[in-house]
Amino acid sequence: MTLGLTPTYGLDLSALDARYHELSKVVHPDRQAGRSPAERRRALSLAVDVNAAYRALRDPVRRAEAMLARGGRASDRAAPSPAFLMDVMELREGLAAARAASDLGRVRGMADEVRARRDRVIAGLAAAFGAGRDDDAVPLVAELRYLARFLDEVRAIEEEADA
Amino acid sequence: MSVLFDIFDPKAAPRPIGIDLGTTNSLVACVRDGRPECLRDCDGVALVPSVVSYGARGHVVVGAEAARLQSAHPEDTVASVKRFMGRGADDPETRRLSSLRFEPPTSEADSRVVRFRVADRVVSPVEVSAEILRVLAARAREELNGVGGVVITVPAYFDDAQRQATKDAAKLAGLEVLRLLNEPTAAALAYGLEKKQNGTFAVYDLGGGTFDVTILRLDDGVFHVRATGGDSALGGDDFDRAIAESRVLPALGVTAPGPDVRRLALDLARRAKHALTEHAEVELSLPREGSAPLVLTRAELDGILRPIVERTGVACRRALRDAELSPTELTGVILVGGSTRSPTVRAYVRELFGVEPLCELDPDEVVALGAAAQAELLAGEGGVDDVLLLDVLPLSLGIETMGGVVDKILPRNTTIPAEARSTFTTYADRQTGFELHVVQGERELAADCRSLARFTLRGIPPMPAGMARLEVTFSVDADGLLHVSAREVTTGIEQRVEVKPTYGLDDDAIEQMLLSALDHGEDDLAARRLAEARIESEQVLTVTRQALATDAALLEPGERDQIEAAMAALVAALDCANASLIHLANEDLERATHAFAGRRMDAAIARAIGGKQLGEVERSVEGAKGIEAHLAAERS
Repeated sequence: MTLGLTPTYGLDLSALDARYHELSKVVHPDRQAGRSPAERRRALSLAVDVNAAYRALRDPVRRAEAMLARGGRASDRAAPSPAFLMDVMELREGLAAARAASDLGRVRGMADEVRARRDRVIAGLAAAFGAGRDDDAVPLVAELRYLARFLDEVRAIEEEADA
Repeated sequence: MSVLFDIFDPKAAPRPIGIDLGTTNSLVACVRDGRPECLRDCDGVALVPSVVSYGARGHVVVGAEAARLQSAHPEDTVASVKRFMGRGADDPETRRLSSLRFEPPTSEADSRVVRFRVADRVVSPVEVSAEILRVLAARAREELNGVGGVVITVPAYFDDAQRQATKDAAKLAGLEVLRLLNEPTAAALAYGLEKKQNGTFAVYDLGGGTFDVTILRLDDGVFHVRATGGDSALGGDDFDRAIAESRVLPALGVTAPGPDVRRLALDLARRAKHALTEHAEVELSLPREGSAPLVLTRAELDGILRPIVERTGVACRRALRDAELSPTELTGVILVGGSTRSPTVRAYVRELFGVEPLCELDPDEVVALGAAAQAELLAGEGGVDDVLLLDVLPLSLGIETMGGVVDKILPRNTTIPAEARSTFTTYADRQTGFELHVVQGERELAADCRSLARFTLRGIPPMPAGMARLEVTFSVDADGLLHVSAREVTTGIEQRVEVKPTYGLDDDAIEQMLLSALDHGEDDLAARRLAEARIESEQVLTVTRQALATDAALLEPGERDQIEAAMAALVAALDCANASLIHLANEDLERATHAFAGRRMDAAIARAIGGKQLGEVERSVEGAKGIEAHLAAERS
């Protein structure tokens, strides 16, 4: 579901928000005063779908998967390059060491580095999809997944340290 | 609608109201002349202390009078009942410093709800809350011609059980709940409507017994909650307890206080806390022969409160991380809840967010004002067409799997309404049922999360292991309440099971309470059902007539005749004054209008987004998980 937006990877997130809000004003359960039970039910199911689509479209990984699926390509078999995997392995070892040493400063430093890297991959994906080079996008999606998982782990470490 | 019109038209429509059902105080508000305002008693007081005192022969007193009875009857007077909503008898919260007598559960089913022994009976938190709601509704009825639906606020961090208990209390009080609204969002609505300032805000809501923090974006009338967090057992009550335990009880020279002394110590602590909001030092005279007065300074109070206040920081930092924001990106911080009057709290909030918090609106009233505004919007009477609240699920929902680990089905901060599906399969040949355990919370292990429901799916057709495909759907509605349904997909047999949560009160229990609350029992209940069915049907008839008139172009040949026939049948059923006939006729009308309703909805969407298509809905069903991966599978 694209919420009526043109399918493109380099999605303008503020345009997405604006569209999401317009649609929600029509389908949200709070906006059904004066409607029949049948209409309310229909609106509820649409509201659920619109919320799910918004969530998926905002997520760079899921947006890339959806773009690949549109082009008839599966993204789940994609493997990143061995060099990338080596990099990630080193990063994760570094993160584990920083966690063991309770070195939150180092954890955040690594997170900043990975975030910058993630943003470069996202830019690369936008360029690949923009030029119709979907095949080039496949390994990048796999890279993006690894980087996203790394950042999830950082979040878990930060939370653990805070509690 | 003007006030004059309200007064002179005996047939004026019932008005929607907003209720803030607080731990310490409750309020009721309503929109009048386009502005939300709190309804006050003859002395001009809006706050109703959330205290219920039970006397002999069914006598019940609520509010300020009950609060006065508290020191004389500490065991028969329930204060801060909100802390017990949706909690079981074995919950640690129920064992904290309290002057109440807890009734020991007699069965396992019984232990799901904590109960208090008061005067000549035993009551649950739902019943106590219903007493408070009745008093608030009565105040509204006195002021308004009639009370329509009600929006009741709940802490954003309330879990499913606590929300359900709140809704049950409203049902018991005979109120129609339009929506359960999160307190911080209500406060933001009250602020936003007045100021019309776009930006990203944090709402810091510290009440008597609960703490919430919500990060939301305000964009031209749309309040889009990005993240919420909190602690549903942290508030001003904890301040009182800490002061009582560290200073008052030692000064009184008591080590094992009975209910009376506890009550007294908490009262003195609260008085000291309030006095120190304005003054640097307070002197408390103790009711003890020859003892010197207890002197407490603001600095000392700061020392006692600071560790408690700092506990709010954990939730705030997490909400910011969830919203992917740093404090510097916030436009402002809104203070809500009586406890944010404390200088210790204000200093901490300033430190944490690095901005001067906003507190122009009365922190005690702002939530009720927002609730009234939302009630007006839901009733379609606001005229403020551009206001919408997009709220989230506060705590992740999941299923217990192998090894007691939680598999998250819907993560926290998902915008509601939301739905998620999971597919399961059988692990044994000819297995016809299995058990699922639904939990809520962020911890890895199910044992550390809130257990919401355990239920068994039955009636799976006997098949070889791994052949059956059971699709379980988790739906969270706009009140934040969970509904679970399941169906077997392989055989095409739609075996839908609506699952009732195993906690709290079931519909029968509520009905029993309603019956005993009404003087004439069953007759009254039947009459009320009929009246409700009648009102609902008349509304349906009105909106259907309007739809037929405005969207005649969307009707297919012959459709109008079918719909009109169903409407005529409903009108006839109304004449018979039979609730179940009316119910059936309503269902028929709904079926007749189903397709038309869909077309009307699609047309409304097309208008909103300029004739574009929403696009194909992709519903990814997760791969079937082996049931062996699910603990507590049941062979039957």
